[in-house]
Amino acid sequence: MLKVPLSVDERWNLIEKISKQTVEFGARKHTLKDAIAELTVKPLTGIPVAIAVLYGFWSFFIDFAGTLFTDGFMVRLFDEHWLPWLQSVFPGGLGNPFYALLVDAGHMENGVLVASDNCLESFGVLTSGFFVPFGVVLWAVLAFYLMFALLEDVGYLPRLAVLVDTVLHKIGLHGYAIVPTFLALGCNVPGVTATRPLETRKQRFMMITLLSVFVPCGAQIGIMQDLVPELMGWIFLTLVIGYLGFGFILNKIVAGKSPEIIMDVPPYRMPMLKNIVSKLWIRTSRFLLVAVPFVLLGCLIVGLMYLTGAMDWLATVLGPFLMSWFGVPGETVAPLIAGFLRKDLAVGMLGGLMEQGIMTTFQVFTSVVLLCIYFPCLATFALMLKEENWKEFLGSIASLIAMVLVYGGLIHLVGIMLGVA
Amino acid sequence: MGHPNVGKSVFFNRLTGAKVLESNYPGTTVDFTKGWMRFGGEDVELIDVPGAFSLEPKDRAEEVAVKILEENRDSVVICVLDASKVERGLYLALEIIERGYPVVVALNMWDVAEDKNIRIDAEKLERILGVPVVPTIAISGEGFKELVSKIKEAAPVKIEKIIENAGGVESAAVSG
Repeated sequence: MLKVPLSVDERWNLIEKISKQTVEFGARKHTLKDAIAELTVKPLTGIPVAIAVLYGFWSFFIDFAGTLFTDGFMVRLFDEHWLPWLQSVFPGGLGNPFYALLVDAGHMENGVLVASDNCLESFGVLTSGFFVPFGVVLWAVLAFYLMFALLEDVGYLPRLAVLVDTVLHKIGLHGYAIVPTFLALGCNVPGVTATRPLETRKQRFMMITLLSVFVPCGAQIGIMQDLVPELMGWIFLTLVIGYLGFGFILNKIVAGKSPEIIMDVPPYRMPMLKNIVSKLWIRTSRFLLVAVPFVLLGCLIVGLMYLTGAMDWLATVLGPFLMSWFGVPGETVAPLIAGFLRKDLAVGMLGGLMEQGIMTTFQVFTSVVLLCIYFPCLATFALMLKEENWKEFLGSIASLIAMVLVYGGLIHLVGIMLGVA
Repeated sequence: MGHPNVGKSVFFNRLTGAKVLESNYPGTTVDFTKGWMRFGGEDVELIDVPGAFSLEPKDRAEEVAVKILEENRDSVVICVLDASKVERGLYLALEIIERGYPVVVALNMWDVAEDKNIRIDAEKLERILGVPVVPTIAISGEGFKELVSKIKEAAPVKIEKIIENAGGVESAAVSG
């Protein structure tokens, strides 16, 4: 007589018995769906399809979010109406600390404090603090999640995973890594949680570390695209090289195994409007709820640090190091501080510095890359604490610091050799 | 409970009116969510869990699912199976039945199985397992009414009874 619980084999024997009596497999028809499914995973046709899909994704992202909403509408609304209106009605005026904090800090030109003419330079809670999330980032996040939801619901992501499987195996990851990576491009937080289906601690550790360092979030990409569209190609290339390069190194030095993950490739499905809308709503509202308070808080903290002179002090103290190691000016300290809270705000502040004309193109490029890699935002950081054990967390932080110093220095070195730094 | 990407979150959203993310790839849900559904005039708690292939967890997401199952000893378990891959789903369902949980089996993605020309005799399966078996198409809501009405019929079944109904089974030569 059999003992309970059954052994694995006994259970399978029983299942075979049951299914023989209840399941009937008819002849499989080769449908159009199957044909499409095959075309998208065979390398010869799959790679062009993948390029087309990603290109379409990106084009939509920049056209819809950047050109149509941000440049076409929001920049005008904020710079031509909101900012001048606040500058005219808000009590205090230029030079008043309260006014500087909330509306416009102004900047020095030939020894004279002049008013800002756009919402990135002004650094005020009511101006920059609202322009960054509502003027730029919201539209980027919406565009990203709309396209992403379509890819998810059609069932394309697992196919992409199959395609990049070979490349990712070289760095000890599995094709499945594409799912957390893609999610992290929207927001690093769900990206980090999506590492849970990875089997070994080594894989999770590597994935979390690589994500939090080299994958910029949608908010950040949106504002980068708005400020330095001409540099985006270089920025992404640098990040991809970093992701693969440091992945390769981590795979060599981290103990543990990277076993195969068997992933089911689901059938293609027609996305349903209701589900797309519902997901768009869940994710966008989550973004607003988390991002907006942090952006406003960041604006306030950075503003206070300027007013009290703390920022100038930090810039003087850290300036020589930043300049000699990374080749960026001491003023970059302000965005780096803001970046602890929110990356989008940090990049926006960098935009303010750019407009004041104190940085070369290469310095802008280096600072934008540094902002991506030097620290995950606070929300991601907190989640890493929760998802990793202490040893892994310290490991993540150590590799993060090492990667920033090595990679940031390397970028500077390449710049010197090319004669652009 | 069920394998990854069989539609558990769609069930959850439909039954509770909650909104957890639904996507067409395995690993969408990595944490549990609790919600309430109306059942026989009262509110009953329903928990959405990450997908699991078996009750021996292999990753963090499966750990969450198994932990929730073990913490809720007196619950009814809705086992969601991909009707086009019944055998694999039955493995998990049998494991849960063996542990003494009352189970309702949902043969989800019935339409996909039909597309693949797979025919399942749900009534016969119900007779063999001794638990309610309902074909469903979660994204369009087909079979939900029947599923909910059968929750109260769910009762623990002895695995010996299932073996007997299936016509007996040889004990495996290599047993674990």
